[in-house]
Order: sequence, then C-alpha cells, then structure tokens
Amino acid sequence: MDIKEIIFWSLSTIAFITAIYTVIAKNPIFSAISLLVCFASIAGHYLLLNAQFLFIVHIIVYAGAIMVLFLTTLMLMNLNEETEKHKPAIAQIAALVIAVALGIVLMLAVRKANVILTMGPMTDSIGDVKSLGTVLLSEYFYPFEFISVLLLSAMVGVVLLMKKDKTAALK
Amino acid sequence: MRALTYTSFLGIACLVLEIFNLRKIVVPVVVIALLAILGINFTEWNGSSVSFYNDMLRADNFALAFTGLLIVTAAGLVAMSGSFYDTEETKLADYISVIVFTLCGGIALVSFSNMAMLFIGLEVLSISLYILAGSKRRDIRSNEAAMKYFLMGSFASGILLFGITLVYGATGSFNLAQIALYASGPGVDPIFVVGVIMILIAMLFKVSAVPFHFWAPDVYEGSPSLTTAMMATLSKVAAMAAFYRLFSVSFVNNFSGFAWILSVVAALTMLVGNLTALNQDSFKRMLAFSGIAHAGYMLLAIMSLYQNTANALFFYTVAYTFASLGAFAIGISVMKRRKSEKIEAFNGLGKSNPFQAVALTVFMLSMAGIPPLAGFFAKYYVFFEAIKTQHLAVVIVAVITSAISVYYYFKLILAMWTKDSEETDAPAGAISYIAIAAICLIVTLALGILPSLVPSINQVASK
Repeated sequence: MDIKEIIFWSLSTIAFITAIYTVIAKNPIFSAISLLVCFASIAGHYLLLNAQFLFIVHIIVYAGAIMVLFLTTLMLMNLNEETEKHKPAIAQIAALVIAVALGIVLMLAVRKANVILTMGPMTDSIGDVKSLGTVLLSEYFYPFEFISVLLLSAMVGVVLLMKKDKTAALK
Repeated sequence: MRALTYTSFLGIACLVLEIFNLRKIVVPVVVIALLAILGINFTEWNGSSVSFYNDMLRADNFALAFTGLLIVTAAGLVAMSGSFYDTEETKLADYISVIVFTLCGGIALVSFSNMAMLFIGLEVLSISLYILAGSKRRDIRSNEAAMKYFLMGSFASGILLFGITLVYGATGSFNLAQIALYASGPGVDPIFVVGVIMILIAMLFKVSAVPFHFWAPDVYEGSPSLTTAMMATLSKVAAMAAFYRLFSVSFVNNFSGFAWILSVVAALTMLVGNLTALNQDSFKRMLAFSGIAHAGYMLLAIMSLYQNTANALFFYTVAYTFASLGAFAIGISVMKRRKSEKIEAFNGLGKSNPFQAVALTVFMLSMAGIPPLAGFFAKYYVFFEAIKTQHLAVVIVAVITSAISVYYYFKLILAMWTKDSEETDAPAGAISYIAIAAICLIVTLALGILPSLVPSINQVASK
C-alpha cells in the first residue's frame, strides 16, 4: 500500500461517513457541517487525480460559497430540531427504497463497466489550469461563450425581480 | 447556425435600448429583428456545411426547421408582451430580453451536437423560465409556481448531468456522432444504459410526461399567463425536439430497450393528461393538462424512431404551437378583461366578440383533432408512424383519449356560444392579441387544407 492508496481510502471513508451523517443528523447545522467535510474530502480526491482546477473550484464554490449560503439560511430562519417537521413514514420508506435501489443499480453498473482509458497519454499536465484553459477556449469555445448568456439571463432576472413597482411605491 | 449568435446579441440589444430610454420601440424592434433572424436562419436550408464551432452545433434541416418555429413563437410572445405588461412599463425591456434569452436556450436545444450545448441550452431555457414564472412577485401563486418549478427543474437538471457524465464515462465523448458510434458497437457498458435512462428521465420531466408531470399544472396555473403560454409552446417544443434529436442521433441503435419504456410512458401520459383535464374549471389548468396529453402524442413520434419520424413530429409541433399560441392570445385577452381565469369567464364571448370566439373554437377543435384542421393531420401522421412500427396498442389508447379530449375542449366552446354572461362590458382587447390570434387562425386553417405546406425535413440525422 503506497501513500496514495492510504490517502484514497482515508478520504473515501471520511466522505462516506460524513455523507451518511448529513442525511441522518437531526440538527441541520451538524448536517451542513458534515456536508462541508464531505465536500472537502471529495476535493481531496480531485487533487489525487491531478485535477487542480477542479479542486480549487470545488473548494471555492461548494465548500465556500454554497456552504456559507446554507449556513446563513439555517441561522437566518432559525431552523433547528424542534421546528423541523418529519415527513410521514411512508414517504421516508419510499425515499429509502428508491435511494437503495438506485445505489444498487449504480454500483452494479460501475462494477461491470470496463473502463476505457484510451484517451491519450496520462501526462502531468492533464487537468491543470493551463491545459483546461486551452481546451475551453479552443474546442469548447462556443459553449464557454454561451454560458455568458446563462449568467446574463440570471442577472437580468435578479434585476427584474428586485425592481421597484411604480404602482406599489404610490400606495 | 448564425441564428443563435444573433439572437443572443438581440437579447443584449434589448438591455441597451433600455439604457437609452427607448422602451417604446423595444417591442417592434425585437419583433422585426426576430423576423430578420428567421430569414437569415432559412438561408442555410439544405446547406452543405452543417457543422459549426467544432461540431458543437449542427445546422441540419431538423435544427433549422425547429429554430424557425421557435423564432416565430417567440416573435408572437414578444408582440403580445407589450400589452400584457402594460402596467409594468419600467420592466418591459427586461421581460423581453429574458424572453429572447429563453429563445436562445431553445435554439441551442434544437441544434446541439454536443452534450455540453444540450446541458447549457436546457439551463438557459429553464433559468429564464424560472424567473418569468416568479415575475409577479406580489402574487403568492406566482411565488409558489417559481419555487416548485425551480426545485423540480434543478433536480431534473442534476439527473440529466449525472446521466451525461455516465454516458461520457462509457463512451469517452460528448459528441453525439461519437456516442452513436459507440452505441452501435458490439458491447455496451451497463453504465451507458444507466446514463441513458437518467437522461431519459430528465427529458421526460422537461416535456412534462407522466409520471414526471406533477409540477406542470401548478406551475402553469400560478405563472403569469404569458409565461404559461411560453411554457406550453416554446419550452415544450424545444424540449421535445431536443429529446428527439438526442435519441434519433445517439441512441437509436440500441433503442429497442427504451422503446417499451417510452410506449408505456406515452400511453400513461395521454390517459392521465386527458382524464384529469375533464374536470378542470380553470382555463390555464385545463390547457396545462391538455399540454401534458399533447406531450404524450408527441412521444409517439419519438417512440417509433426507427422510421424517420421527424416530419411527423415537426408537423405536430407546428400544429400544436399555433393552436396553443392562438388559444392563449385570446385567453389572455379575455382573462384580463374579465379578471378571472375560470372557464366561466368565457361565457357569452360568442355574442360580445364573435371573431375571438370563432378563433378560439377553431383552436380548440384543432387541438382535439377534428378533420379539416391542422391538428387532425398532425395526429394522423403521428399515429401512422406509430402503426408502422407495430405499436398498435398505444395507438388505440391514443385514439380513445383523443375522443375523450373532445369533451373538455367542447366545455369551453359551449361556454362561449351557449351561455350568457352577466357582464355587459365588452371591449375588444388589445390589438396585438387579436392580430396574433388571426395569424394563428390562418396557419391552423391553411395547414388543415394544405398539409404539404410544412416543408419536409428529411435531411435529418445525416451524419
């Protein structure tokens, strides 16, 4: 067992345990924080795969921005164990059955998959920021630019929803 | 595929017009620009070079035909938005630019040739619609619609992305032609199949097929009527065309495993959609269920994919889009005047506004599939393709449910012609609604008499 494998297994164990705890934790704050740890360990996996850019983005976007949003919302709404309503048992059982079934299907499918890695040599530069940038601005230039329409539309939407109603202001 | 780039710039141009305080001319400028883009779009018809930007988009006839339809629909919606948003002048340019951005997403969806474009196109379309669904922010039903649509839609997008990832893992490519090459090979990985099923689920959600339809009625009812019209026409047609494109290009070679899933879904969609529509008393809710049912009929075209069913699907979407758009144009105008969304609001329309009543009757009859109208030929073509591929049982369900659907369409027609309204005031409604309804009426009648007017798009799936 070399050092990489040890890291892989420990990260996987942490990710697994924290992911389960995210779902079963009674206190939403604990749930959110264990999700944060889960994200961090997945980010570690990216680093193991030499995907530095994904690692950074994962930390910044998920562990940073989204978790802060979650925690702020939780604290703002003052959600805790007492206020949380439990779903009826039937819904819980249905969700469990579906999740387990999906998990089994995915596991079987991944186990049987013969992974093809004929996509070119695995060099050190694969997955680093420079080669990612080159691909984004050459092969994937058009989708990259098209995302700006998505962002612009979301931005216009925020302005639209926040704009003052003239009629409302008069009241 | 220049239409997509130009449309994106048009959306930005709307915002620029707003800066220069030219709100009054936004609507005509955008409508004229959209018609110009429509012309540019069709200059590429039957073109020789179809692949654009490293094969991200493909301007084959399928893409061009559906792009044309979407642009016309969007032009109609923009033309109506001037009078629909007449109380919110300061926001008009923003509304129109979001509508144009929705159109961008739709165009990407009908012309993609790479999974990246599919996903981004779907997101552009969906996010713009979430915004529009919630744009009446003081109306609690609009808030509910936006929230529901956003949560459900985000889950669907997540499932789609997961599916795309698994397909990528199996094939090593986002390109549709490459995926097709892999799928026609000897052994197909289980993760490929799981991935395709996840993509299938997400697409069925987006076209609101049973059992993924629960969001549709609430969202349609709560959203502002013009947005409902957009979801029923532009968004549904784009999602359906993307669905067809994805499966006809990439997954057609091992389609038999999915065809039975689709046939069950199509039969259920038609049954649930039509049966639930029977006892609706809200105009928008009734059209929502009717839209679900129509998604079922369109799924027939995807189900019988071995033949080249693109023509049947295109004809169906054209007939459905114009009938729906026209129905919504009249519906919005009536609902706005009577300030009610119930079917009773249409009482006595035959006496007070005979033209509107006649037009709405024609649209309803066309949706029901009564012979001399476009809807009849649409259903005929789709059923014919399904019979050719031995899906007789599903076609029998389709015919029976079509007969059922006549009942609820006639409920509206009877309300207009036989019942009297207590309200005596009958202003005609804004001219733009009437103009759109008149255009839709002409198209619906013309396609019923001369169904060959719709161009054949047989270049589809040319590699």
